[in-house]
Amino acid sequence: MLHDITIGQYFPLNSKVHKLDPRVKLFYTLVYIIMVFVCNNFVALFMTLLSVILLTIFSKIPFKTIFKSLKPIVLIILITSLLQIIYVKSGIVLIDWWKIKITSGGLLQALFMTIRVSLLIVMSSLFTYTTSPTAMTNGLDRLFAPLTKIGIDFNVVTMIMTIALRFIPTLIDEVDKIMSAQKSRGANFESGSLMKRTKMLIPLFVPLLFNSIKRAYDLAYAMTCRCYNGGKGRTTMNALKLRLSDYIMLVLSIAFIAGVILLNKYCGEYNAEFTFGITL
Amino acid sequence: MAEKIIEFKNVSYRYNTEEEGKVLPLALDNFSLDISEGEFIAVLGRNGSGKSTLAKLANGLLIPESGDVIVDGLNTKDDENDIAIKQIVGVVFQNPDNQIVATVVEEDVAFGPENLGIDPLEIRERVDEALNIVGMYKYRLHEPSKLSGGQKQRIAIAGIIAMRPRCIILDEPTAMLDPEGRRDVMNAIKNLNKKIGITVVYITHYMEEACEADRVIVMDKSKLVMDASPREVFYDSSKIKALGLDVPQTALLAEKLENEGINLNGDSLSVDELVSSLDNLLKARLD
Repeated sequence: MLHDITIGQYFPLNSKVHKLDPRVKLFYTLVYIIMVFVCNNFVALFMTLLSVILLTIFSKIPFKTIFKSLKPIVLIILITSLLQIIYVKSGIVLIDWWKIKITSGGLLQALFMTIRVSLLIVMSSLFTYTTSPTAMTNGLDRLFAPLTKIGIDFNVVTMIMTIALRFIPTLIDEVDKIMSAQKSRGANFESGSLMKRTKMLIPLFVPLLFNSIKRAYDLAYAMTCRCYNGGKGRTTMNALKLRLSDYIMLVLSIAFIAGVILLNKYCGEYNAEFTFGITL
Repeated sequence: MAEKIIEFKNVSYRYNTEEEGKVLPLALDNFSLDISEGEFIAVLGRNGSGKSTLAKLANGLLIPESGDVIVDGLNTKDDENDIAIKQIVGVVFQNPDNQIVATVVEEDVAFGPENLGIDPLEIRERVDEALNIVGMYKYRLHEPSKLSGGQKQRIAIAGIIAMRPRCIILDEPTAMLDPEGRRDVMNAIKNLNKKIGITVVYITHYMEEACEADRVIVMDKSKLVMDASPREVFYDSSKIKALGLDVPQTALLAEKLENEGINLNGDSLSVDELVSSLDNLLKARLD
C-alpha cells in the first residue's frame, strides 16, 4: 500500500507539454497566475480559460484528472460564492425574499470568482502533472545558477532535493520492513485509541531515524569517493537546452500577457450591464 | 614487476570515540602492503579485522594515525592530492542503496564525471561506456529504486568506472545480494580486471569469490597475517579455520586429492580451473 505513494502528482505521458523545458513551464505558470488576477472582464477571463483548455489538450492529460484536482477546493468555492451572491448588490434585483436580495451583479461576481480560482488550481496542477520532480529540480538548479555569482550556492539546495527524492522509495521500503518486524513481535498498528496508535509510531520512527543517519554517513562517503565537493565547477550531462518548442512557448506567453491587457482595455471592466455586450 | 599503485607503509589507524578517557583499540596496526597495477587482490578476514578501514584509508577517506598511504606517488595526507587520489582509486561499498545519488540510472553514473567538471559530451561517452561494461546499458533510463540489489550494485560500480580510475576497491559489494546478483557483480568485476586492466582490491566474506583472485590477503586483529596465492592461503585448512574463515570447497577437494597423492597443477582454486585440471589429469590417466 505504501508503494503507491507518488511524489507531487507527476502524470508521466509523452506529450509536447511534458517535453517542454521545465524553466519555460515554470515561467508560463507564473505568468498565467498573475494574468488570471489581472483579468477584469469576462472576455479576458474566457481567453485565459480557453488557453488552459488548449494546453490540457496538448498535454494529453485526461480532463477527468484535471477536474479531480479541483475537488479539494469545491467547498471553499461554494462558501465564497454564497457570500458574494448575498452581499454584492449591483445590477438588477432578481430575487427579493425576506432579508435576502439576490442581484445579477452578485451572481456574475460569484461566477467570475469561481472561474478565476479554478483556473489557478488547474494551471498549477497542470504544471505538476507534466513536470517530473527530477525535471523540476534540474530547472530550479539552472534557473538559480546565476545566484552563485553573488555567493548564494543554490547547487547545494538542489542536491538536497535530489537526494530527498531519491531516498523516498528507499525509506518507504524501510518503513515496510520495520513495520513487519514489529508486527511479527506482536505490535499492532491498526487498532486501539488514537493515543495508543500514536504511541505505536515511536518504535517505528526511532529505528527509521537511526538507520537514516547511518545511510547519510554511508552516502557522504560514497559521494566523497566520487569527488563531490559542494558542486563547485560541476558540469551537467543532460544540460537543459531551449528548443524550438520552448521558444514558441515563450512567444506564446508574451502574446498571452499582451492579449489579456488588450482585452482588459477594450472590453472594459465588467459590470452587470455590460457583459458580453448583453444587457441583463 | 608492474608499477606500484598503492603502498601502505607501516600504517596504523584508530577510530575516535565520543566517550572521554576511553581509547578504542587500533583498527589497523602497523600495516604494510604494496598493490601493483593490474592485480586482482582478495582481502579476507572476520568482522572487525580492519578490512573496511583498509578500503577507506586507500583513497584518503581516512587519514592514517601513523605511517603513510601513497597512491601513485601521492601521499593521502596532503590535502591538495585529495581529488587526484580519488580519481585514481575508487571505492564501492556494501549497501548499493546508500551509494546511488540520482533518481535516474544514467544521471547517477554521470555524478562523478559531473563533479570533475568534464565536458557534457565526454560525460555521455563515459556513462555509456561504463554502463556497457557492467551490462546495465539497457536500464539507463530506469529508476534505481525499481532495480534489484545486484543491478543497483552494478550501477554503483559503473558510477566509479565512469571516473576512469586505475584501481577499484570493493568493500563486500556482494554481502547484501542474492546468489544471482552476486554472480553478475562478480562477473562485472572480473571483466574490469581482465579486459580493461583495472587493479581490483576485493574485500569479501565469500571464500569462493576470493578463489577468483590472483592474490589473497588475510587479515586478523588489525594485522596482515597472510599474503599469497589462493592455493597457498587455503593449502592449510586448519590454519584458515583458526582465523575464523571457511575453506572453499574447491580447496578442500584439492587438499583431499593431495592427501591421496594426486597433485593438481596451478595456483588457482576457481571451479573452472579445477575442473579443467582434473579433466586433464583424467585424460592423462586414461591414455
